[in-house]
Amino acid sequence: MHVLRNFLFLITLCLLSPLVLASAYEAKLAPELNTAADLCAYAPCSEVLPGAVRFSTRKGHPPYVEGFDERDNRIGYVMLSTDITDTPAYSGKPIVTLIGMNNEGRFTGIRILKHSEPILLLGIPESALNKFNDQYLGQFTGDKIEVGRTRPEEQVIGVDAISGATVTVVAQNQVIMTSGMAVGRQTGILEPVQRTPARFIERGHKPDWATLVTEGSVRNITVRNEDVGLPPGEEPFIELWFGYLNQPDIGRSVLGELGWQRLMERLKEGEHAIFVIRTAGKESFKGSGFVRGGLYDRILLRQDVDVFTFRDLDYLNLYGVLTPGAPSFNESAIFIIRSTGFSGAYPWKLAFLGNRVDQATGQRSFANFDTDYWLAAEYLEGGRPKIEKAAAPWVRIWRMRALEIGLFAALLVAVAAVYANRDRLTRASTRKNKWPVNAFKYTAWVISIGYVGFYLMAQPSITQVLTWFHALLFKWTWELFLTDPFIFLFWIFIIVTVFLWGRGLFCGWMCPFGSLSELIYKVSGAIGLKRFQFKLSQRMHDRLKWIKYWVFFGLLAVSMFSMGLAEILAEVEPFKTTFLVGVFNRSWPYTLFVAVLLGLSIFMERPFCKYLCPLGAALAMPSTFRWFGLKRKQECSTCHACAAGCGSLAIDRNGRIDHRECMLCLDCMVLYTDDHACPPLAQERKRRQKAGLPLTPIGKDGYYIPITPVSAHAAKPATAGE
Amino acid sequence: MSQDQSKSQELAQNPARRKFLNTTALAGLSGAGLAAGLSLSPAATTTAHAAASDSASKVHLKPGELDEYYGLWSGGHTGDFRVLGIPSGRELLRVPCFTPDALIGWGITNESKAVMGTKPDGSLEFTVGDTHHTHASYKDGNYDGRYAWINDKINSRIARIRLDYFICDKITKLPNVQGFHGIFPDKRDPVDPKVNYTTRVFCGGEFSIPLPNVGTEDHTQYRSLFSCVDAETMEVRWQVLIDGNCDLVATSFDGKLAASNQYNTEMGARFEDMMSAERDSCIFFNIARIEAAVKAGKFKTYGASKVPVVDGTKASNKDPKTALVGYVSVPKNPHGVNASPDGKYFICAGKLSPTATVIELTKVLEWFDGKMADIDKAIVAEVELGLGPLHTAFDGRGNAYTTLFLDSQVVKWNVDAAIKFHAGDTKSQYVVDRLDVHYQPGHINATQSETMFADGKWLAVGCKFSKDRYLPVGPMHAENEQLIDISGEKMVLVADHPVRPEPHDFIMFRRELLSPKPIYQHEEFPLAVTKVEDAGVTRNGNKVTVKMASYAPAFEPREFKLKVGDEVTLILTNLDRIEDLTHGFALPDHNINFIVNPQETKSVTFKADKPGVFWYYCTHFCHALHLEMRGRMIVEA
Repeated sequence: MHVLRNFLFLITLCLLSPLVLASAYEAKLAPELNTAADLCAYAPCSEVLPGAVRFSTRKGHPPYVEGFDERDNRIGYVMLSTDITDTPAYSGKPIVTLIGMNNEGRFTGIRILKHSEPILLLGIPESALNKFNDQYLGQFTGDKIEVGRTRPEEQVIGVDAISGATVTVVAQNQVIMTSGMAVGRQTGILEPVQRTPARFIERGHKPDWATLVTEGSVRNITVRNEDVGLPPGEEPFIELWFGYLNQPDIGRSVLGELGWQRLMERLKEGEHAIFVIRTAGKESFKGSGFVRGGLYDRILLRQDVDVFTFRDLDYLNLYGVLTPGAPSFNESAIFIIRSTGFSGAYPWKLAFLGNRVDQATGQRSFANFDTDYWLAAEYLEGGRPKIEKAAAPWVRIWRMRALEIGLFAALLVAVAAVYANRDRLTRASTRKNKWPVNAFKYTAWVISIGYVGFYLMAQPSITQVLTWFHALLFKWTWELFLTDPFIFLFWIFIIVTVFLWGRGLFCGWMCPFGSLSELIYKVSGAIGLKRFQFKLSQRMHDRLKWIKYWVFFGLLAVSMFSMGLAEILAEVEPFKTTFLVGVFNRSWPYTLFVAVLLGLSIFMERPFCKYLCPLGAALAMPSTFRWFGLKRKQECSTCHACAAGCGSLAIDRNGRIDHRECMLCLDCMVLYTDDHACPPLAQERKRRQKAGLPLTPIGKDGYYIPITPVSAHAAKPATAGE
Repeated sequence: MSQDQSKSQELAQNPARRKFLNTTALAGLSGAGLAAGLSLSPAATTTAHAAASDSASKVHLKPGELDEYYGLWSGGHTGDFRVLGIPSGRELLRVPCFTPDALIGWGITNESKAVMGTKPDGSLEFTVGDTHHTHASYKDGNYDGRYAWINDKINSRIARIRLDYFICDKITKLPNVQGFHGIFPDKRDPVDPKVNYTTRVFCGGEFSIPLPNVGTEDHTQYRSLFSCVDAETMEVRWQVLIDGNCDLVATSFDGKLAASNQYNTEMGARFEDMMSAERDSCIFFNIARIEAAVKAGKFKTYGASKVPVVDGTKASNKDPKTALVGYVSVPKNPHGVNASPDGKYFICAGKLSPTATVIELTKVLEWFDGKMADIDKAIVAEVELGLGPLHTAFDGRGNAYTTLFLDSQVVKWNVDAAIKFHAGDTKSQYVVDRLDVHYQPGHINATQSETMFADGKWLAVGCKFSKDRYLPVGPMHAENEQLIDISGEKMVLVADHPVRPEPHDFIMFRRELLSPKPIYQHEEFPLAVTKVEDAGVTRNGNKVTVKMASYAPAFEPREFKLKVGDEVTLILTNLDRIEDLTHGFALPDHNINFIVNPQETKSVTFKADKPGVFWYYCTHFCHALHLEMRGRMIVEA
């Protein structure tokens, strides 16, 4: 068994190593990529903006570069996705993408520099994602482009998803569109968003500083030394307070009547003023960048995706904060937002851009410290407006696949309901005719293989267990699990049923690959190959069944060091090849592996499930604690009738059922109430018939209901495992 | 016996008190402890010293701290207008108006020449000026930040300073006036209640001359005019022919009255004649009546001037009910007339009389209404303050502060107490405090003093002599503008600020009242070269127009060619939009230098009268490549 494990190890590594090297998977990027002014010195900008020979340095908030052709005409823009959005993909990490866009806002090139998507590492080739990206070329950034169908009535342009990597592409879509829009807005390609201007309620309550703080009318940004890589100190690196001055109560409180009036006279229609004061720290929020370039490069304001920066001409002296109880300060400013796109009614955030210095390397990087601000509802006519936030990727996916999700959930509930009523089905069945049970089970198999496996690609995998382990240990994010609704629901089903009934309901009824495997076995048997079918001896089986546990623990251990390697080794599961990618889409070793396993299934019941499946192993352990076990009789300890017919080889010499191995096929439960098949029952039947006694119905304990009352202990049922 | 005399006696008997006040001033100046061993009353000294160093710390701003007040200063015979920060006393800006300025190019550029006025040959008509008084425009009883006006006594010109750009935009010469001295804008319209802001500026003519000005020695034919200038158009609306002369000017908060003190009611031509009468006067102008008379055509014109001149002589204004003017008598050669912030009184300082005269405005209006026969009944107080009272400021708490030129003192006195004293209550102690200043103070003003919002924080005193107060720099001495904390009962001298000679009057007001613009707008300049592409040379015969743009660190064009004899007009726009990024333009051997602030346009016209290469260059530091910012004017023979 060691040999087998090592062999698998080697085989996977050898097959995959070239693939790994060529890809952008966890590619090592120059650290300067994220910070250097000259972005294009570190990124292949000309590849995404064909025709460009020269690029500017990073400019704007968020940053982008301009590309120029040979005649030095600007032909477009290049942006790095992580400069603009940190939208995580399936791996929880962003896909670092370089995006090119021409002067008209049409995409000219999209190039993935780095990703951490396991699905793209193994299985789906990276070219699929490149192909996905290519769908954007020539598209206008201002259009509504979504993963899914094109819906002209809603002006939605659809792009085709990658089967099996929905989360990845939905995230990628968001990254591309957000980046394009962020740069489009800054460069004037896109009209700025027009927000309804605030209509203020003047309360006349003359708030003091404490009130302003409680109301959220002034808010604070504190950056500690350690946040920017400096040794911790008592005084913060910088402590800022800021607030919105157009609201009359706040403005008057801060500036006084005269100061506020004069400020409002200076503002044109649609202009807004905020104030910022530094109450502690040595760092300046003004810096000196504005002296040469005219731009305050340490402070900016964001409202949704719109960024508002301040020029020297947008600055006014703040002559003092007159609010009673205001803290003293030693740097101050009034900044004017000159854009009708801004509205005081909507939330915004003020960001301080600090320079973080890595103590070890001395490397500098920008760090963004921001605080949300939203005027209190009491200051706004009609209260705070309703904000329609773009749904998170996982929400979109749930919406997009609502019907399929509904059907799938119904399937899971139906299977559980059927199994909950198993006693009625097993009673209706006999050893000769198991159709009342099998009709449901086989239906479940077929749906599971076709709909769940091949269509929904919702094949649970050991990688999910590993991911959960990590999430539990490090950081649990619901989003990560919600992004795949089928897997999410499946796991709810699995967890509930494992603790109710053991892993068998999933493994034996619902697992697409398990179902496929056993279906092949059953069909082969039915079409006359029965004589070639065999079981390993119980002794052999009892030894080999431990392999899967080793595989599981091996993967778990490897995952502690490298999730990537664990992902590679998880190819011991043939699921990806079978359902997610397709046997004909993969290189021959994978196809061969699946072929061997499925071929073996013709002759042997569920060889993979029994001996290799790490997921099964993972689920087997908690199955020990299932709530409802299968029933046993006293006589089972000596009668081996069930054990002989147990396809899972889960009934031991003493008649005990090992629920860690049991697939809940219910064969033994059919026997349990079959008075022609269960030896003790058959014996009793014969006795009663001989004695001319009536055959009373069979009770829950698997015996005929006694004709005369007997003492309680005489009819005590025995269940397995007790 | 006046209260003042009793104070003087007290001081004489107790010279230490005077010394103590001096010491306090020094302590305030240095901010260091000087209290040890100097005082008679340790407790008093400690308090005063603590107060002094506290105010002193407010005067000495930390790096990056801003002054709380703007100060607008006249420059005297430098002919300029200055901006100071108060309380620090730091000079922030000089605005050239009547006289050329090499830095700005004032008097060099075509635009500034047009404002200053030129002779037919295009050269400046005047290159000297003497500014004394500056006052700003009002709205609702406070400054509104639109304009300030300043006088040129030498050439009788009034200049307007725009307070958004801090530039002089108009200069008007007053016809038939010499020695234009006092100036004051009105604070609201006397008739239209909606016009609660400045629309007129009044100007007092100090010297008397023949009308029209013919060369006669017979001074009995000499007259003075009081002028009204429109605040917007800067045209002279009307003038009043008066008996005697005008010195300083004040206006009432209700807009109905303007007044000027008269030190030469004798109409003497020599000073001994000017001082012959025991009482001179303060002349009050009834603005509504004057304008009605002008409207009714009851005016004359003199010489080439078309400005209507109404008759304000005593002989023609005997009936108060129709009088355009009223003459209130005040003691001998008064100086300064100041309006109290409560709107009730005008106070004339005696100069040659040790008194101040308090005139109640409602009573003056009663006289004009015919309800009071003797206009001198409007005098509600005439009290002694000390020797050589000149000007008065107010703290908004009922106190007046008057400079005593000869005593080198500022006296703080309570107006209500003075009125009571004058009414016969000899126990009324109207003098609150006295403070030595250094030396011989002229003008005085307090923060917001000339508005309805006098805040009684700082008092500035323009001392005409500094003598030993600064490091010696030869015979010419700086003026000594001293700053006094008046927030407490006692005045505390906190700072000496040297100023280049020689400012006279000034005002100080809250910084919130101004909204200066950080850069210019192209719309202000019809000639603006708004884009680099528009730069270039166009020729029409020998008239050449060079349109030039500056954009750090280059001029565009970088070179241009001319022929000897070309008459060149060079228009330069600074296209930089960064605040404070000013460029200069100097052209060697052609007497040209001027600056263009961001988005500003200026032009110069000159003759290319000699062949050669002339490197024009940026004189105002602008960029790391500032030295490289230059270009060639190539003049071919």
